[in-house]
Amino acid sequence: MKTKFLSAAFAAALLLTACGKATPEQPVVPEESAYTGTVTVIYEGAPFDNENISVDFTPAEDGASASITIHQIRFVPQMPVTIDVTIPGITLLGTAEKILLSCARVVPLAMGGEYPRYTVTDLSGEIAGDELVFSLKFGDYPTSFAGRRQGL
Amino acid sequence: MIKALLISTLLIHAAPADTVELLPATVSVLKEQMSIEYIPSPVSVVRAAELSQTGISRPQGLSSRIPGLYIPDYGASLTATIYLRGMGSRMDNPVMGLYVDGIPILDKNAYVFDWEDVVRVTMLHGPQGTLYGRNSMGGVLTLRTLSPSDRTRPALNLEYGTAGHLRISASAIIGSNALSITFRHLNGFFQNTYKNEPCDPYNGAALRWKWEGAVKSVRLQNTLSATASREGGFAYGKWDNGQQKRVSYNDEGSYGRISLIDGLHAQFRRDAIVADASASIQVLSDQMKMDQDFTPVSVFTLQQRQRSMAGTVEVRISRNAAEKVWIPQTGIFAMYKRNRITAPVNFKRAGIEELILSHANAHIPPDIGHLAIPDEEIPVNSNFLIGTWNTALFHESVFVLGKWQFTAGLRLDYEGAMMDYDCLASLHYQFIPTMSSEKSFSVPYAGVKRHDHLVLLPKLSALYRAGSFVSLYATASKGYRSGGFNTQIFSDILQNMTMNALMRDLGVYLDRPVVSVTAGNTEYDPEQAWNFETGARIRKGAFSAELSAYAIVLRDQQLTVFPPGLSTGRMMTNAGRSRSLGAEVQLDWMPGNFRSHLSWSWCDARFVSYHDGNSDYSGNPVPYIPKHTLYVSAGYSLPLGSCRLEIDAFLRGTGPVSWNEANTLEDPFRARIDARAALVFPQWEIYLRGENLTDSNGHVFYFKSIGNEFFANEKPRAFLAGISIKF
Repeated sequence: MKTKFLSAAFAAALLLTACGKATPEQPVVPEESAYTGTVTVIYEGAPFDNENISVDFTPAEDGASASITIHQIRFVPQMPVTIDVTIPGITLLGTAEKILLSCARVVPLAMGGEYPRYTVTDLSGEIAGDELVFSLKFGDYPTSFAGRRQGL
Repeated sequence: MIKALLISTLLIHAAPADTVELLPATVSVLKEQMSIEYIPSPVSVVRAAELSQTGISRPQGLSSRIPGLYIPDYGASLTATIYLRGMGSRMDNPVMGLYVDGIPILDKNAYVFDWEDVVRVTMLHGPQGTLYGRNSMGGVLTLRTLSPSDRTRPALNLEYGTAGHLRISASAIIGSNALSITFRHLNGFFQNTYKNEPCDPYNGAALRWKWEGAVKSVRLQNTLSATASREGGFAYGKWDNGQQKRVSYNDEGSYGRISLIDGLHAQFRRDAIVADASASIQVLSDQMKMDQDFTPVSVFTLQQRQRSMAGTVEVRISRNAAEKVWIPQTGIFAMYKRNRITAPVNFKRAGIEELILSHANAHIPPDIGHLAIPDEEIPVNSNFLIGTWNTALFHESVFVLGKWQFTAGLRLDYEGAMMDYDCLASLHYQFIPTMSSEKSFSVPYAGVKRHDHLVLLPKLSALYRAGSFVSLYATASKGYRSGGFNTQIFSDILQNMTMNALMRDLGVYLDRPVVSVTAGNTEYDPEQAWNFETGARIRKGAFSAELSAYAIVLRDQQLTVFPPGLSTGRMMTNAGRSRSLGAEVQLDWMPGNFRSHLSWSWCDARFVSYHDGNSDYSGNPVPYIPKHTLYVSAGYSLPLGSCRLEIDAFLRGTGPVSWNEANTLEDPFRARIDARAALVFPQWEIYLRGENLTDSNGHVFYFKSIGNEFFANEKPRAFLAGISIKF
């Protein structure tokens, strides 16, 4: 009940703010957030799902770029360890409804440094509302993520 | 005699009027209300003459001489491991209380010292918790040292023998003071083949000053003891496919100790009341350096330094025992001990490779990379401040009804302890190929743990004086061994925590992460034993006998278990229950110039329940406990005009002994023979003594370290010659 009341109050405040300014729609501002979802790696032609994966989205101060850290990912089923991988230098483009993510090629960071073996190519994705989706290639492995913001 | 009286008279007159005078008797070291003849437990007594004849000068020498007692002579003076009636463990609190001149020695690290001026050793078998409290679960060993009232002449003893053994000791009574001093040197019996030098040299000195006197009607006795020693030790040889290798390790193994104990007794007697008060201050500073892998490879070392201060106070009030039907005794006891321990474990290059990197990299696929630690050494620093306090209220009533004597006692014993731990592991690491340079990394671990316990220790006994020479008794009593903290396991905890934290720092997560216990798992509770015993005591002329049989039920047994995860050590926990069934026999026959003694013990100690984390050992014999101990001695004094020739022979045996819980390693019953020949004149004597004449090299200790097995062997044959002069 309390949650519903707070949500209604928050929605009303947003409505009043929007009405008061009456200016053209502003692009969505990227903000630091964490998402939980499923990472799917295409391994030997078949999808291999990593469920309940936590992903951190960390925009740079200028809001034009960001990094994404995927926690405890396993690229292939036989991997006896999971690792944290950070993809730096992702370009952000804000629109009124979403933030578009893109990166043609970048060397990710893992295990304390650059990890060229899993160089990221063809990254594209978006943050729309509370959802983050992106796809990329980790080396030879096509990979995708779809998740929702944590704490909702 | 006239001279002694003259001296004592002079001293009495020299003392301030009405304040101090020399008294003819010392304060009793036993707390029992009855004479030793009527104590309802087996009693062993070793007098000064026997100590001198046998050369027993350290507690290990009492092994087998006191039936059921096994204190293997291995390691260093720190490692006073005591096994008694199926109880005991090599770590932490002892199962036997040690009292020197009525003062309880609180630190097991101080149990082993040179006994040059000990004039009487008395052992009370079985739990003596009601009167003696903590750690007297298997029995109490009391030592009485030279007192001014002993009136002995000044003496000088010199002894030299195998392995560079040299002992010089002197004692003198000057007025109200008894002084004794001892120095002992040993080159060592066991060669460290890696260093090509003896690994067990010893240099130590001990000083004791005892003063006796009285202030008005209060008898006083103050004893100040100081010891300092520096020794090697840890003569452990690898056990490799059933073959005993020689001692060979590369890092330092040594132990140094300074201890200072001052104990003050006061006794007040009135017609019906006797009040005894005692207080002590005990200071111990020691340092042990140990090659923990005991191999020529630099794996890991331990340096353990302790600074311990303790104090005890006891007050007992009892009714004068003479001709009374009811003889009550009530007392209070309090102690506090503060122990600061620093115990850094240093992982050296081979240890970093074998114990840390190999485990970590075994779980990381080579195509991802591998962990590298460039450090030559990784220090795992562990600092502890441990406080232990104990207070007790106790009462024991003895009822003498004709030929019957009944004893009922109860002790309410409260013990608390606090451990403040502050640990830090530091290293540099690099993950190859992703990291271009090494990274500094450290893991702190600090906190405080506290626990306390309340224990009730009852005792009931009945003794029947079946005649002038025979007493029969039955006793049920309870004892306990204090709980504590496993400080030894902290290096393992830090090692595992460091590995997990390092992996997290890297962003690498093992499917089977290193599981580790925490500080919360390092606490263990008191161990408690109920002892049911029946026995007989016979004294007739030159013959005396002590016969007893007992059953002991041990609860919350303090046993070592394997902690979960990758560990180099084991930790103490209340892991099981056991029971001991046994019988003890002591016979003495000393007609004329002949003397003989036999001590024999049979003990069947088995786990009722014990799972060490890996296996279930319920039903198995408890390791390290000899099934039999045997000691036989015979001697004869042959008068030769103004002197006499004394010939004595001693046989000492133990076994069979199982060395592990699975009972897959066992030593059979082994015996060694010692002998002595002495020419004794009224004022001096010379003697030749042989120890371990059969050169028995049986095992006296076994342990495992990082998967390797090790044994310590009995000391080899030795010959000693000495001279004692009384001035």
